[in-house]
Amino acid sequence: MSDAVIVVALLLVAACATAAVAQRDPARQALVLSVLGLFLAVLFTVLQAPDVGLSQLAVGSALTPLLIMLSVRRTRRRGRTKEGPE
Amino acid sequence: MNGWILAATVELAGGGAAALWGVTTGPTGRRVIAQNLATSALCPALLLLSQGYGRPSYVDLALLLALLGPVGTLVFARLLAAELERERPSAWALTWAAAGLGAVVVAAVCAATAPGRATVKLLVVGALLIGGNVIASRALSGGFQGVRGG
Repeated sequence: MSDAVIVVALLLVAACATAAVAQRDPARQALVLSVLGLFLAVLFTVLQAPDVGLSQLAVGSALTPLLIMLSVRRTRRRGRTKEGPE
Repeated sequence: MNGWILAATVELAGGGAAALWGVTTGPTGRRVIAQNLATSALCPALLLLSQGYGRPSYVDLALLLALLGPVGTLVFARLLAAELERERPSAWALTWAAAGLGAVVVAAVCAATAPGRATVKLLVVGALLIGGNVIASRALSGGFQGVRGG
């Protein structure tokens, strides 16, 4: 019976990972990815590995979305300036 | 399975499913709000799990999440500013409901632990969670227009 919380966390991670893959827009993918990071941290906590969960939280909740969003912005800007003057 | 873990399971299932549904559907503004509310739904669940497993050191996870979750939302608010400018997303009823949930959970866990340093830590987690949530919601709805330039 105490496995219910593990099952819930696993289901959430599986559903969120599938949704992250299914998104088309990279910015929206980054949003789903940051929520996936939170779910993964909860899953690690439930599986009694809080140290792994801590590092997952530190990387997944702020750092990964920041990197993705910065690179998306740079690619969009570069594409715009290339098309603009020509 | 004790009551704390049961409460954490219910909160994880409800809050997690709602956040997942919000973040995968609808316009961008709604998705950012759902991402913000995922933080305030999962942080109390982590507190309840720490109490349920009887391991006070698990509170560190909730502390880190309460600190970094709003930072992640502010990253999105800053870098998606052009899209959010048009939509001005705000969901104050949901924001205050999530803040109330966090306050109730922090109060319950505080009542269950012996007074001392652990109580102070829990209160810090609660303050960070509610404050960060409200600040991130305000930034999303365009409350800091003067800061946004650049």
